[in-house]
Amino acid sequence: MPPFSHTWLPFIYLYGFGGLFFSLGLYIIYKSKSINLKRKAHRRWLKILVFGFAYFMIIHAILIIAALYW
Amino acid sequence: MESLHGLGTATDWIVMLAYFFSIMLFGSYFAKYNRSTNDFFFGGRRFAWWLITVSIVATGVGSHSFVKYSAKGFEYGLSSTMTYMNDWFFMPFFLFGWLPIVVYTKIRSIPEYFERRFSPTVRFIATIFQLLYMIGYLGIGLLTLGKVFTPLLPQAFDIIGMHIPVTLMGVIVVIAIITGIYTTFGGQTAVIFTDLLQGGILLVTGVLIFITGVSYVGGFDTFWHLLPVEWRLPLADFNKPPDFNFVGIFWQDGVAGSVGFLFMNMGLLMRFMSAKSVDEGRKAAIFNVLFMLPISALVVGSAGWIGKALLEMNNSPLNPNVNSDEVFIAVTHIIASEGVFGFVLAALTATLLSTVDSLINAIAAVYINDVHRPIKKLIKRRLASEEKEAKKELSAARWASIFFTVIGIIATIPFNNYPTVYEAHGYFHSTLTPPLVTAIFLGVFWKRFTTAGVLTTFLGGSSLMIIGARYPDILITPFAHGTPMDPVHPYTYISALYNTVVCVGVGVLVTYLQPVFVGLSERIKKYKKHKNLMSALIIFIVFFLFLIWFDASTLGVLLSVTILMIIFTSISAVYYLKYDPETHLEGLTVWSVKKAKEMFKGSKVNEKEGERVYVKWRLRSDDEDFINLSKEDMKKMSAEVGDMVYLCDARKYLGGLKSVHSRIGEPHNETGLVFICREHKLSALFLEDKMLYAEKEM
Repeated sequence: MPPFSHTWLPFIYLYGFGGLFFSLGLYIIYKSKSINLKRKAHRRWLKILVFGFAYFMIIHAILIIAALYW
Repeated sequence: MESLHGLGTATDWIVMLAYFFSIMLFGSYFAKYNRSTNDFFFGGRRFAWWLITVSIVATGVGSHSFVKYSAKGFEYGLSSTMTYMNDWFFMPFFLFGWLPIVVYTKIRSIPEYFERRFSPTVRFIATIFQLLYMIGYLGIGLLTLGKVFTPLLPQAFDIIGMHIPVTLMGVIVVIAIITGIYTTFGGQTAVIFTDLLQGGILLVTGVLIFITGVSYVGGFDTFWHLLPVEWRLPLADFNKPPDFNFVGIFWQDGVAGSVGFLFMNMGLLMRFMSAKSVDEGRKAAIFNVLFMLPISALVVGSAGWIGKALLEMNNSPLNPNVNSDEVFIAVTHIIASEGVFGFVLAALTATLLSTVDSLINAIAAVYINDVHRPIKKLIKRRLASEEKEAKKELSAARWASIFFTVIGIIATIPFNNYPTVYEAHGYFHSTLTPPLVTAIFLGVFWKRFTTAGVLTTFLGGSSLMIIGARYPDILITPFAHGTPMDPVHPYTYISALYNTVVCVGVGVLVTYLQPVFVGLSERIKKYKKHKNLMSALIIFIVFFLFLIWFDASTLGVLLSVTILMIIFTSISAVYYLKYDPETHLEGLTVWSVKKAKEMFKGSKVNEKEGERVYVKWRLRSDDEDFINLSKEDMKKMSAEVGDMVYLCDARKYLGGLKSVHSRIGEPHNETGLVFICREHKLSALFLEDKMLYAEKEM
């Protein structure tokens, strides 16, 4: 079994720091009104952005689990 | 390590040459769509998202290449995909910050943004950084091409009694000439359409290699279990080994690289600028990162994974001493038959050419916008008519493409001294990206960021980076997260964190200290000989820069000198450069995107949602840039006179090639008919019997 430093630590670091940058981006575009959540199209874009973050996180988690246990 | 030679057979080379020739003709065909530099560089802002997406894949993948990632896939496994799977974090910043600003401000290059956001001096410095970055990138691209092709060729050619030895530089020159021809004459439209072809070939071939390779080793289950567990993990070990570790690559690629790629890669930005609208650009970016990049990760790395699986087999057909950089070619040579191998080589060529052609086009764009036009303005040359000027600029753009191709060839010489292309590229990215990326990022997202802040980011930040590279054990180690230091190439990746921190740190600190520098500048102005004093400060800045560049003293002195240089630069910026918040902020930061949109249109934006209408066209006899739609059609579109409109051939597969942007003029009563001017017809090359659709833009 590979060490924690090769399995879940990079995952936690990636989505911890990556999540910080991502959240900061969402906060700035919301505060600056560059994304206007009153508009239907912009609400859809926000959903896509959040989906994308979860999508990559799930792919990486599945790949780590597959590598270790399959 | 053993190098390969003469792998290509006659059939393979016939396939390759046929490919080269076809792509040259195909690219040059699109020259007829270039009516101005706007068409030449930006494809006339007309293309559909799917065309942009494939074009981005061909360019993005080419720059990272089959060679590099197959090598890392071979050495470290699935973690070679990290680079392609860490770009999402900055998407909010890009989609709703930088992308609309780039499109709505109609900037033609990143240095131009710096002039409008800060001052012409900042533009000048940014141009130097930008050109260095792009020429270096071009050099790396050409070097990769040369390194890929040289092993495929025989030691020498004997043609009509002449003995022509095959050298790396010779191969680079021949390829550069071929790429230069269709970029020079075809422009951005040629680049986008050749990319469509090349991107398609690339994806199909990459997936084929993976399927064929997996099948060769005995199916997916066998392939998966042949790989050691460490090779199956998608992320590298946290901080070791020095030449491939997670934390270093996160900061070098996931942060500096991702922001650099999205925010300052002119080749990529020109793709988005050639999209028909901001929303179409967003779709292209989303689709690219969500779907195309993960596929690309598999496409470029899988030969390395297959190579590792082959090595683990009994009686492995792969030489265990194979050079990692040649593993892609070695593996495809084993798993592909004759002719198919040639097709694979064509795909490899496609990816690399796509990167190189985009870069040549993008460098020429920076040259025209940031060197050619400002020089003309400076010498105050009398301008000829607009049409003649446009023709002259188009010609200058073509000559610039040729010139920078030659410079790119020369730039391959120093990069060839690095052990691998991967290292040359990694080092290059972590050193030249941070100052420009920090300056753009803070400029776009932080209203308070001042001219003094950006200038010191460039000069002070890069000086601290140079000192860090000289004293990595003292300055970079605290940022290294326990990564061991390779004394020959210290902290190739994690140095990006140090470099980013010093650039951001200097920019933020100077911006917060702005009132102090304003006070000092005001006090200096009260002296009688304040001009002399300021000249002395400038001389000191130059002197300090030389001290730092040539490492002329000890670490303590160099750091002290850098601090003094940052203070002097800040005072000089406040003293010399005028900064009017209204002029330098309106429409140029994320906080005023709506204003940027209004400035783009020239009037209040019509946000009402309308339908697309299908129309036949007729020609007016004048050259006024507006179109006339019927009252009924305008009602369906929720459009008003003066609104911006996009008129396009209704055949979807053209992806917007035959299209034009204009404004809506006075309406008529013939529903289903649009009147256009001659310039619209010439620019879009509309066909007589083909339907068009009209869409309100804003």
